[in-house]
Amino acid sequence: MTLAGGVLGVALTPRAAAMISDEDFNALKSAVTNQDSRIGQLEKLHEQDQQTHQQDQQTIQQLQQRLGETQTLATNAEQKAEETAAKIQPAGPLMNALHNFTMVGDAEVQFGQAKGQHGTFTLADFAPIFLFRANENILFEAGFDVVLQNNTDPTTGNPNGGSSTSVSMSFGQLDYFLNDYVTVVAGYMVLPLGTYSERAAGWLNKIPDDPLAVDFLPGAGAGAQLRGAVPVGISGQMLTYAVYGVNGPSSIDGTANATALDLGGNVGDSPNLNGNPSGGGRIGWFYPWKPHYDVELGVSGQTGTWSGNYLWSALVVDASVHISPYVEVKGEYINTWQQTANVGNIQPGGWWVQAGYKLAGLNLDAPIVNDVELVGRYDTANDAMGSTTERTTAGFVYYFTNTLLLEGDYEWLANRGLNANGLPSSQFVVQLSYGF
Amino acid sequence: MKIQKIILLVAPVLLGVCLMGLGLTPAQAEPEKKTDQKAAPKKLTGAELYAINCNRCHPERYATEFTTAQWQTIMLHMRVRANLPAAQAKEILKFLKEDAGN
Repeated sequence: MTLAGGVLGVALTPRAAAMISDEDFNALKSAVTNQDSRIGQLEKLHEQDQQTHQQDQQTIQQLQQRLGETQTLATNAEQKAEETAAKIQPAGPLMNALHNFTMVGDAEVQFGQAKGQHGTFTLADFAPIFLFRANENILFEAGFDVVLQNNTDPTTGNPNGGSSTSVSMSFGQLDYFLNDYVTVVAGYMVLPLGTYSERAAGWLNKIPDDPLAVDFLPGAGAGAQLRGAVPVGISGQMLTYAVYGVNGPSSIDGTANATALDLGGNVGDSPNLNGNPSGGGRIGWFYPWKPHYDVELGVSGQTGTWSGNYLWSALVVDASVHISPYVEVKGEYINTWQQTANVGNIQPGGWWVQAGYKLAGLNLDAPIVNDVELVGRYDTANDAMGSTTERTTAGFVYYFTNTLLLEGDYEWLANRGLNANGLPSSQFVVQLSYGF
Repeated sequence: MKIQKIILLVAPVLLGVCLMGLGLTPAQAEPEKKTDQKAAPKKLTGAELYAINCNRCHPERYATEFTTAQWQTIMLHMRVRANLPAAQAKEILKFLKEDAGN
């Protein structure tokens, strides 16, 4: 209104007012009034716009402030990360020292009953093998045997009372893979005399006890070995070899009497008394004509002195055949030559043959039957000192899983000769074996 | 002459019966034609080498029972113990690592 009055006061002189009719005046007044109203509305809109602008400005300021804080945080985090990275030592290729450490092995619990004796749990055995792979070319492996055993005379079955625990190192060796065809082995090695000693873990052998004649051979020896395999063609056929030098057997009492031979005492408290190492080796041929159908033949031996200049030598011929996944036949012929001071030259030796048949081969729809393998073995040993033992074994293996086995066997024994000992005529042995 | 005719008649019949008994058709019973192209020998896979070698001494172990790192170590151990050729051991390892456990 003030603006409209001002406009009228300035624009209209008294004379001009006299010339304007009421009608025109009213029209002009109405127009001015409308304009005044619209100007008021525009002023309100302008005020609202200003408020909105101020709010926008505040929002922008807040966002800019937050952005600044975020940038500060990011900068600080980056600096901290750089500082932390600078403090950390550069990581090597092996993040964990035990990354390449592995344990395998087996464990057994055995129950036995000899004819005329009470049945008893005869042993518990834990046999771990520790493996450490230093790199792709070096492996260290050591096998131990921890056995809790009744103090029952294993040959006569006569109880002596109590029990004993023994801890022994079966082998401890360093393997260096020189190339694809040669591996250098050094340490206390499993000896490749035949194949039984290298494949005799409790869950591998399908009969709880070892063949008798295996006792005429050293299971391990301290020394060095070269071994390897050469593939023949691409059908899986191969030739294998092993050649070694070891301290060799020694004498338990320093004499060269026949009973003084110490096959296991070539290190430690029972040193080799002859100073001349023994040498040996094995040559093998393996021919598979398809998976689960194969034949393996091997010849091995060792020779050297055992006490003074008295010789001890061994020859082993081994063979195994697989015909289908269900049939296995294997065996060894073992002969040794021992020069002695008291009984001249003697030849302890023997042989064994073992067969197994997995009932799964019958294709019966019977789950329990399919997990059973029937086994049988004949073995004999002549100690060349007046005792010959023959043993016939029949039994089974029940496979709970691929690594948990229940082995049960009945053995018929016959011991003859001038020095025949009191072996039971028969005995029953059950063993639960687990491989890990 | 009669005997010769009888033989000429009977012989093809007997031959046919024999072939049928063997489950062969005359076409199959023909001697194989010699060809210059021999079937190329096939390299064994890791799975085949695993079946050939591992089951000889122990029940087969499942690949999932050990991790990749453990299999690498175990295969070195088995290469020594079983005297496996390096190339075969590597193929078996490759096969086992495919399904190795965690």
